[in-house]
This record gives sequence, C-alpha cells and structure tokens, in this order.
Amino acid sequence: MTDTVTTSDIDLWAEDVVLAPYETYRKLRDLGPAVWLEQYQAFVVTRYRDVYDALHDHDAFASGAGVALNEQLNQKMKGSAVVSDPPYHDHVRGVMAQPLTPRALRAHKEDFQRLADDLIDRLLERGTIDVVVDFAQLFPLSVVPDLLGWPTDGRENFLAWASAGFNALGPMNERARADIPVLADMWAFMAEIAQPGRLRPGSWGADLVEAAQQGTVSKQLLPALIGDYLVPSLDTTVSALSSAMLLLGRHPDQWRAVRADHSLIPAALNEVIRYESPIRSLARVLTRDRELSGTVLPAGSRALMMYASANRDERYWTDPDDFDITRPDVNAHVGFGHGIHGCVGQGLARLEGHALLTALAKKVRTIEVGEPEYRVHNTIRAIAALPATLHAA
Amino acid sequence: MDVTVDRKRCEGYGFCEEAAPELFTLDDAGELVVRFTGPVPPDQEREAVDAVRVCPVGALRETLPR
Repeated sequence: MTDTVTTSDIDLWAEDVVLAPYETYRKLRDLGPAVWLEQYQAFVVTRYRDVYDALHDHDAFASGAGVALNEQLNQKMKGSAVVSDPPYHDHVRGVMAQPLTPRALRAHKEDFQRLADDLIDRLLERGTIDVVVDFAQLFPLSVVPDLLGWPTDGRENFLAWASAGFNALGPMNERARADIPVLADMWAFMAEIAQPGRLRPGSWGADLVEAAQQGTVSKQLLPALIGDYLVPSLDTTVSALSSAMLLLGRHPDQWRAVRADHSLIPAALNEVIRYESPIRSLARVLTRDRELSGTVLPAGSRALMMYASANRDERYWTDPDDFDITRPDVNAHVGFGHGIHGCVGQGLARLEGHALLTALAKKVRTIEVGEPEYRVHNTIRAIAALPATLHAA
Repeated sequence: MDVTVDRKRCEGYGFCEEAAPELFTLDDAGELVVRFTGPVPPDQEREAVDAVRVCPVGALRETLPR
C-alpha cells in the first residue's frame, strides 16, 4: 500500500452498521473513491460513478476469482455465471438467461397477475398481516419452485438455504460460519436433485439438466447452477417486496399517485430498489492496476462494489435520502448490479413486483404499516418482520 | 459516434427503447430492432449515450466511428 491510499477501520459487518448502514456509507463516500478496509483486506468502492465504471470494466474488475469475501465460497461458486469471466461467462450466462429474459417471461405474466390478485384478496380479509411472511415470502415461494420444477420435498428449506447462501457471500464471520452446515445440506440436496428425472420435465431446472446431458454445461457444475436459479430468487425479492410495502405505506401521497396511474409502477419498484438495495455489496478482484477517480487499485486486490451506497450517492442523485417514485433517471440505479454480471433474474423480480403492486393498486386504498424489525445479515438488507393492515379500496 | 449491439448479451429489457425510441425498439416478439444503420444520427447522440448507459446487462457499447 502506498501512503496515498485512504484506509478506514469502519466495520461494514458490525451489527449496528448492518442494521442502519446509510450514515456509514456516507462517511466512506466522503473519505474517497476507494477506501482500504484493513480488517477485511479489501477496498470498498462507494460512489455511484466509480461503482458503475468498475462494473462496466469487467476485464479489470473480474468476477472469476470470486465475488464473496472468503475463499471457501469463492471456490464453491467457481464456474457459475456469477463467479466467472468472459468468454466462458457469456456461454453459461446465455444458458441460464434463456427462461429469464423478459421475452420468455411474458408467458407467465397472466398467471402471476392472477396469483397476485388472489393473494391480495386473501390478505384484505385477514386484517393485520406480517408483510414479510404473508406477502413478501409467500409470493416468490408460490411461483419460483414450480418454475424450477421442484418436487414437493425440500421446499421447506428454501428460505434457510437462500439466507445462508447470501450470508456466506460476506466475510467468514460468525454469521457465515453458522450457516455453513445449512449450505452443506443444500449442496447435498442440489446434487441429488440434479439427477435426471427428479425435476418436472419442461421446467427451468429440467432444461438445465438436459443441457448438461447434451454437454452444453458441465455435469459437475449442475448442482451449483440449479442453486443459482433458486438461492438468488428468494431473499433478494423478499427484501424488495417488504421494502416496497413499507415505503409505499409510509408515503401515502405517492401511493395515491400509483393508484391513480398504474404506469408509475415500474418506476415505483425501481425507486424501492434504489432506496433499499436488497444486495448491499458484492466483490471483484483486480486483474491489473486500475484507477478510479484518481485512486489506483493495485492488481490482485479485492474491491467491494457497494451498490447500496452508490444508490444513495449525493454526487449522482438529487436528495438521495428522499423516497421519490417520480425521480428522473430512476432506472439508472445499480441495485441489480449493472453490466455483463447484472442480475440475470431481474426480469423475474420485476414481473413479480409489478404483478403484486398492480394487484395492490387495484384493490388497496391505504397501506397502514407498523415498525419494521431488521435482521442482521451479511449481504441482504433484510426486514425480519413488518406488521401492516391493508384497507380495501 | 457508433453504437454496437452485442446480440448475445441483449436479453430484451428495453431500457434502450425508453431512452432512445428513435434508435431502438422491441418488436412484438420482444426482439431488439436497431432503427438506424451506420453512425448514430447527430441529433440522436445524446439519446444514444443514455441508451448505452442504462442497458442493465452491458449489451450496448459506444464505439469509435470506423
């Protein structure tokens, strides 16, 4: 390290920072474009332009050496679309993306809308609900396993597996260590489910197994690739859907605007994801010396892409701490990442979010929310519980 | 300026259409249609830069004119 590099002893995984991160992110943004975190042996990149530039220079900021802050998971994920670089990345991403493109997902739009309408009807009869369990978890769990072709066994573990998968993407701290046995169970189950004939024919999962039979993807990688469909589809979406209910409940004027004009729904969902980015950060490894806004990050060093900070960067966004669904340029957020590793499931997440917000906008006049309780998690901005009462239109 | 579309990376999100409808549209099947040939028309360069910037999967690239 040269003496020009700014260092900080801020602990991004300390419990108080995880629960209320945004003030700490502002401090880091003010310290410089890239700050060295001695405790984690990594740079943290916190400003919008720098995160964007780094994500789009995927040759210098590579993913193949891992996106987690620990070697154990980086080794385990090697060869997935997330932990790989072009040209191999483009191949495996292409296979994974096929059923997830907006074009392919069109076939599910009506189904999703019907399921969302039914869910909101049921919630309206209930009185007080827990947004996380009854709404944000229930919906993805009612669509994703069926699309994947999952049999009935193992489904009860999905949420624990997804949470463990993302905890392990952070540093190997107590939280990650506690979840390693959960992940070991998941990997064992994935290996078993990857056997031909286990997943429903014609499903996304079965198509992947078929691709492996034909040699399009490696058989050895199959469990990891099936896991790549499942794990990122839950905690992230649960986070965004919970935050959507919280934020739209807290901003009744903006909820009225959405109800009056449903074309605002995509922007509303984008603003939720900007404001409370479900994945706070993932890492890259420098393949060469690379400058970011005047600071040189040396080859071989690890750099955290702090999406949740970039999306609150006052150098880029006007009044970033205000929730505003009419914000211009709202789809420029990096809440799904950006560039060639941009979230492959964002079309699915958007389809789910749009269906649910449309159902709410049709049927719910006011969203009365209580106080959210947050969960201490290594990667996800996770609401653990949120009481709410929906009032019918 | 020129803009190159990487067809293999395009997944059809349509953000480019929102940013530059004169230059990019999605057809009825959801496939990207590029509505210009050669360099970007000078009066559309701003929109083209925006389209490149917002593509969520890095499928558009600004390239130097040939």
